[in-house]
Amino acid sequence: MNAIAPPAANAAASQPIGGADPIWNAFRAELGKLSAQLIVRLLAIAAVACPFAFAAVLKVQSGTPNDALFGVYVHSSGFAVSLVLLAFAGNWGLPVIAGLVGGDIFASEDRHGTWKMILTRSATRTDVFVAKLLAAFALSVAFTLLLALSSILAGIAFMGANSMVDLSGVTTPAGELLALTVLSWLLCLLPTLAFTSIAILFSVATRNGIVGVLGPLLVALITQLLNLIGKGVIVHLLLPGSAFLGWHGLFVEHRFLGPLVISSLVSVAWIVACIWASRHILRRRDFLTSTVESRTNWRAPVKAVAATAALVAVLALLSNVGPTADTEHRLSAAIGEEFNHLTLRQQELIGRHVPAGAKLDILPNCNRRAAKAEGPGDWNCSLNVYLPQGHAVPFSATSVEYDVSVESDGCFKASSPPSFIGGPTMKDVHGDTVTNPLYMVYGCFNVL
Amino acid sequence: MFAVRASGLSKRFEATLAVDGVDITVAPGEVRGLLGPNGAGKTTLLRMLFGLIGPDDGSVELLGRDLDGLGGEALEEVGGFVEEPSFYPYLSGRANLELLARLDGGPSRAAVAEAVAKVGLEGRGEDRVGGYSTGMRQRLGLAAALLRSPRLLLLDEPTSGLDPAGTQAVTTLVRDLAARGVAVLLSSHQIGELERVCDSYTVMQSGRVVWDGSAAELIAAAPASAYALATSDDEAALRIAAAHPDLRAGRARRGGLALAVAADRLDDFVLALGDARIAVRRLDLLASPLETMFFTLTADDGAAVAELEPEELAETVTAAS
Repeated sequence: MNAIAPPAANAAASQPIGGADPIWNAFRAELGKLSAQLIVRLLAIAAVACPFAFAAVLKVQSGTPNDALFGVYVHSSGFAVSLVLLAFAGNWGLPVIAGLVGGDIFASEDRHGTWKMILTRSATRTDVFVAKLLAAFALSVAFTLLLALSSILAGIAFMGANSMVDLSGVTTPAGELLALTVLSWLLCLLPTLAFTSIAILFSVATRNGIVGVLGPLLVALITQLLNLIGKGVIVHLLLPGSAFLGWHGLFVEHRFLGPLVISSLVSVAWIVACIWASRHILRRRDFLTSTVESRTNWRAPVKAVAATAALVAVLALLSNVGPTADTEHRLSAAIGEEFNHLTLRQQELIGRHVPAGAKLDILPNCNRRAAKAEGPGDWNCSLNVYLPQGHAVPFSATSVEYDVSVESDGCFKASSPPSFIGGPTMKDVHGDTVTNPLYMVYGCFNVL
Repeated sequence: MFAVRASGLSKRFEATLAVDGVDITVAPGEVRGLLGPNGAGKTTLLRMLFGLIGPDDGSVELLGRDLDGLGGEALEEVGGFVEEPSFYPYLSGRANLELLARLDGGPSRAAVAEAVAKVGLEGRGEDRVGGYSTGMRQRLGLAAALLRSPRLLLLDEPTSGLDPAGTQAVTTLVRDLAARGVAVLLSSHQIGELERVCDSYTVMQSGRVVWDGSAAELIAAAPASAYALATSDDEAALRIAAAHPDLRAGRARRGGLALAVAADRLDDFVLALGDARIAVRRLDLLASPLETMFFTLTADDGAAVAELEPEELAETVTAAS
């Protein structure tokens, strides 16, 4: 038997220039592929340019995105711009990034027929899987941070680094706002990775890039729909998108971290479950000829859609299970205290003296017109104000009516006709136009 | 030590038993041809050897290492491809090779350039693979295989889409590598191409190995081959042929004679023609021993091959192969 000797002509080719770690080598290869793709480059450009474009548009028009928390403050503080973008990103932007980054990273190998090329090199299936996972996570994190940095810079550049009223009606200084805004974006990394993991699972399970990219968006849509219909707190906290709302608890006077901690742990659970399932599927997979696989390729997306529909139905049925998140007591307490802060803030802005520790005597009464007084949706709050200080007019024994839109996570937006509390802006004591703090009231209470 | 030692490999896809208890070995320096009609299980077998498909039963040992079904270290120094090579269309040929090389720990850029040149793609290495022809992708696949400094090459239709010069170059390359001790398992439908490079053959039919042996054994075991013969006196040649019991002869439609005879018996007949002062003006091989053997082994009624008229034999066998 002849001894097997490597061909002399190829000796140079055996000199490694990369590291000895196959995962690191595969990770670099994945990054190389991703960075060469047009969609990834466009995503990077969008992550930088969109916040600046958004801030620029806000700057040249007088309207404000009132439906988003802090939306009414976008002209007075650059941090509001970043937080409004964060709210939008949590609903759609970050799931889109997760889908585009993670949804095609496995399925593209099926589309190009390249599994047979990369799995017949020195890297094992596990090496390739881990490398792809890390590459998708790295890009998701990079784009999220890019979006965060860009939104903060754009907000400051166009609107200034000014203080702003928080979700309890208390004015927060710029430095603290910056820290909280950065922290809020960082806290969204975990749910972004959860959505990236979901995209990867769709990609691996269906071998279809379209399903992989659109899957996280579908999950985000389902999350929002379930948040609209269910009043139970358990299902809401178990949804992968809930952690995108966790930062709300940081912007109140008495910070509550329970929902944030739970939803972050839920994100970790989604990540672990999706990775485990993806790894299991890939490990057991037979890589057949493309013609054999194309015959059965339609089945996986159909199964995925059917499974998703079934899951939605189950979640919808369960969405009322457990304690109610939004109660009359919680809402009344939160909006009453906040109205107190904001009224005093308004008095200060127009130059009236507000003694330290001053507190209005407010009796809030919140109800729903056509439903039991619990759960997310439209509420109505009457704030009966009694004045302990005789000179603090004009709210003596006045009743202020607010229409309140309450979210499943305990955050609300309250607005009242201008005849009660004035228009969106007002003149302060210096004659400058400022945001009327009572025009649109944003608040949050702890649902646990 | 064998470069490839597979024992009892089986794989079932739903109701279809694609590979059924296959044993195959390839020694260092040996070029083994893997033959079989479509659906015989060749590609499934190659995919199992590459670890792309996990066998239901049996074991694979490559270069002395057990293949656990998932590739990795067991595929060190194993090169090749299964079906036509696929690459990322948005990357250049060179970038594709560098990416694959990186998965191996990364040969130098010079080695990549050398591989590109070796397969005749210099000047096109910077072009995106999306614009490559089938033949160019085939060449790139060979370059990707060579980058690994392989001691074992598993090649599936390596000359598919190549022009005659490219086919010749691949044939020469395979023989050169084998001369340096590289083991090669070569699957192809081009029987003539296999005959030029293979030392041994494994013939598969319906997932099973129906014949396995060296080229010499195959020639010895092969049924009669078909030849076209033109002589100075075809009528006399037919009379002489009738005196040779192992030879069947008849008139060809396009003129001349058609013969069906084993290779070792052909010499006797040609010498007899000479003794009768009949000149042999042309003697062409129409169906080689490998082709007739392949057809005999894989045809629905292989035994009937022996009954075919020579010209019919040639037409049938060459059409089938």
